[in-house]
Amino acid sequence: MLFNSLEFAVFFPVVCCLYFATPHRARLPLLLVASCAFYMAFIPAYILILFVTIAIDYFAGIRIENTEGRARKTWLIVSILSTCMVLFVFKYFDFFTGNFVGLAHLVGWSLPKPVVHIILPIGLSFHTFQSLSYVIEVYYGRQKAEHNFIPYATYVMFFPQLVAGPIERPQNLLHQFYEQHEFDYDRITAGLKRMAWGFFKKLVVADRLALYVNDVYAAPRNFNGLQITLATFFFAYQIYCDFSGYSDIALGAAQVLGFKLMENFNTPYYSRSISEFWHRWHISLSTWFRDYLYIPMGGSRAGLPRWVLAIMVTFTVSGLWHGANWTYVAWGALNGVYLLVGVATKNFRDRFYGVVGLGKDNFARRCVAVGTTFALTLGAWVLFRARNLNDAGYILTHWFSHWNFSTIKTPQFQLKYFPAAIAGLIALEAIQLLQPKFSFAPRFARSPIFLRWAVYMAVVFSVILFGVFRQTQFIYFQF
Amino acid sequence: MSSQFRQVASAAAPSEVTRVTRGASLEASDSGSTPARLPRRSTGRGVLKIAAFFILVGAIAVVLNAAVNFGLKRITVSKFGALNQVMSGQVNAEILISGSSRALSHYDPRILQNLTGRSAYNIGQNASQIDFELVFLKTYLDHAAKKPGLVIQNLDLFSFETTKKSELYDPGLYIPYLDDSNLYQFIQQKEPDAWKCRYLPLYGYAVEDMRFTWVWGLLRCAGVQGPEDYFQGFNPRRATWNADFDSFRAGNLSGVSYRIEPEGVKCLEDLISLCQKNGIQIILVYSPEYYEMQKLERNRKEIMEKFHEVSEQFKVPLWDYSGSPISSQQNYFNNSEHLNGEGAEVFSQDLAQRLVTEFPQWAVRSATADAGSGSSPVHGAKQGEEAMPGPDVFRTAGKTTESEAPR
Repeated sequence: MLFNSLEFAVFFPVVCCLYFATPHRARLPLLLVASCAFYMAFIPAYILILFVTIAIDYFAGIRIENTEGRARKTWLIVSILSTCMVLFVFKYFDFFTGNFVGLAHLVGWSLPKPVVHIILPIGLSFHTFQSLSYVIEVYYGRQKAEHNFIPYATYVMFFPQLVAGPIERPQNLLHQFYEQHEFDYDRITAGLKRMAWGFFKKLVVADRLALYVNDVYAAPRNFNGLQITLATFFFAYQIYCDFSGYSDIALGAAQVLGFKLMENFNTPYYSRSISEFWHRWHISLSTWFRDYLYIPMGGSRAGLPRWVLAIMVTFTVSGLWHGANWTYVAWGALNGVYLLVGVATKNFRDRFYGVVGLGKDNFARRCVAVGTTFALTLGAWVLFRARNLNDAGYILTHWFSHWNFSTIKTPQFQLKYFPAAIAGLIALEAIQLLQPKFSFAPRFARSPIFLRWAVYMAVVFSVILFGVFRQTQFIYFQF
Repeated sequence: MSSQFRQVASAAAPSEVTRVTRGASLEASDSGSTPARLPRRSTGRGVLKIAAFFILVGAIAVVLNAAVNFGLKRITVSKFGALNQVMSGQVNAEILISGSSRALSHYDPRILQNLTGRSAYNIGQNASQIDFELVFLKTYLDHAAKKPGLVIQNLDLFSFETTKKSELYDPGLYIPYLDDSNLYQFIQQKEPDAWKCRYLPLYGYAVEDMRFTWVWGLLRCAGVQGPEDYFQGFNPRRATWNADFDSFRAGNLSGVSYRIEPEGVKCLEDLISLCQKNGIQIILVYSPEYYEMQKLERNRKEIMEKFHEVSEQFKVPLWDYSGSPISSQQNYFNNSEHLNGEGAEVFSQDLAQRLVTEFPQWAVRSATADAGSGSSPVHGAKQGEEAMPGPDVFRTAGKTTESEAPR
């Protein structure tokens, strides 16, 4: 079930009403049933795969807690391998076998390519990682194993964050299933407002821009440099608004029900460095890789070569997590290189800014840093979005060729869409930029109810009337 | 971002501050420290307030939807105006042109009207397939006070292909008329969500329509209309030849072929039968198509043979302009399939002359009648002044004639 579907518009209020109307002891089973219904709206049979993963990690968690030494580690490895095996079969089998056969062909072996045509279960990478975080935390003793199956299954399947995160940690979420969440008007309306903001980002901004991006990236050679550059710029906002919009809806929906999920985005395009960008983009995944891959590999305390290796492995695996395609691997590796170069040149840049008289908090310096980081990110997004490395190479080398303003539109993106798209972007940036400085919200909250409701109505109807509802899928669902 | 939302979440109006306090006491009451009645009232108020908000959203959506429909139905220009005239039964033309975008942009009813003296109207619809053309003609006949004497059905090489599921072009155009049974039944077959467009306020305009059609409806309510680009239903293409065909040819070096779907054949036969049952003469016309495009169409011969077969079966004339000199002149085209305004004028004159020459009974006035002196078919003009020619007018029915063109 998609958040931006009529089904969800019926499903969510019904679940909320039932949730607050039922006694506390019945709420957890209700949430589990609702989450199953939510997931089964995609491909019903895939619920079995999810339950296999849940069952393995549930029992592994208990066994890890109850055993010591090698047996404990063995249970961890069994759990990780079996969970990752599901991910491998569904997501990476074709990719790895295809590359292996290609490699064998290069050395003269002729091997048939085994192709498994299976549809990737939606959000598989997300709930797999959430399951893994549970068993790893239990293994390290930072989380007690959950002995009750229903709360554990609900922890993995909780519908607001089931298919695209945030990838939760058991310490943050699991205990919340035992808490009693009362009907709280302020919390519920705050959650609804956040959902509305998420819908605005997704439907008004991301899906409008997607019409342009899809056209250009489907056949970049048919478009001029201006269109290619604009499509890349649009994609940067499309993916941000798509994914952070989804996260806002997820956090808002959870908030309505009384749950607090972790924040996933923090205005990443205002970052002054790639390092900062990764602290503000898809935070739940970045911290997952930091805690379970980068730090176990030694992190920054293991000497320069190990640190470089840890960075590159972490980012490359992060790229591969996004999809079974070399473009994602290259995107991850490029971000690793960005980060290493950024660290290596930091002293030089600081000295340079000092020489030209730009202090650390100087506005011009901040602008240069934010602009540079955004431009580097744009370059990386090309790899992320392109169909293959050939297309990515073409796009990266044609940003500035044959700019023609008279052919700025594309087949799907008519000229009349530009005002709506640009207005959406301006509204997004204005709110993001001005809200922290001027704190509209408290002042607005003191205004008369008719004014507040008028503004809420305007937001609701601008989403309904200016949104694009046919570009339905969230980008990150495919991961 | 998160901090912004935390601020939004924590922000509360004075009245809401009370509720926060009450909410806090709700949790406290559950632990038995405060009276139970106070928080329950607070919860009830909260529920009512949220319910009131969404009821208001629903009410505004209903009002907006009604306003958009009201406005769209009252537009008198452009494609909306042309459709409104058909749906309100105001057309009542003696000559009716039916078909796809090629019909819409090739046949100028003003020229036909001037040369024949018969009122004419073009009901061609952009990107329509034969099944929709049949339904639209039925709809026209249901609404018209007076049936046409002649239907010119334009043919395309894709005339035997039917509309695919969810591929109805420009659905926003038809949303105000989903209460029409012909249109609704057809659209529901092709768009499974059609019921939502009909019964859920704003659903059609927000979800199915990507063209901001609702803006035109609201603007009309405010007394604003767009520019007129439809003339008695005819929508000439102002653009000159563009590079579409070159890129199309580059992408289809081995040519293209079109399906002959049994259902598509049946639709064309039904369309002819519909006319004949209603005592309406029908001429099938394959209007000019750029000659280089014709070379790319692999099964062109097969499709044209099928057209001939249908034409002979029902004894209706088939006029094929594939070989017309117009088809070989690039300057008459906007792209390989569509004539531009100049090409449409030349073709319409040629067609009208032919109509007058081959069927003199049809012409009220001589073929040299002054341009601009014809009467508009709309609003009942020219109705019944002249006896409509009977079915025997087209006594050459079944005889197929072709124009020769240098290739």
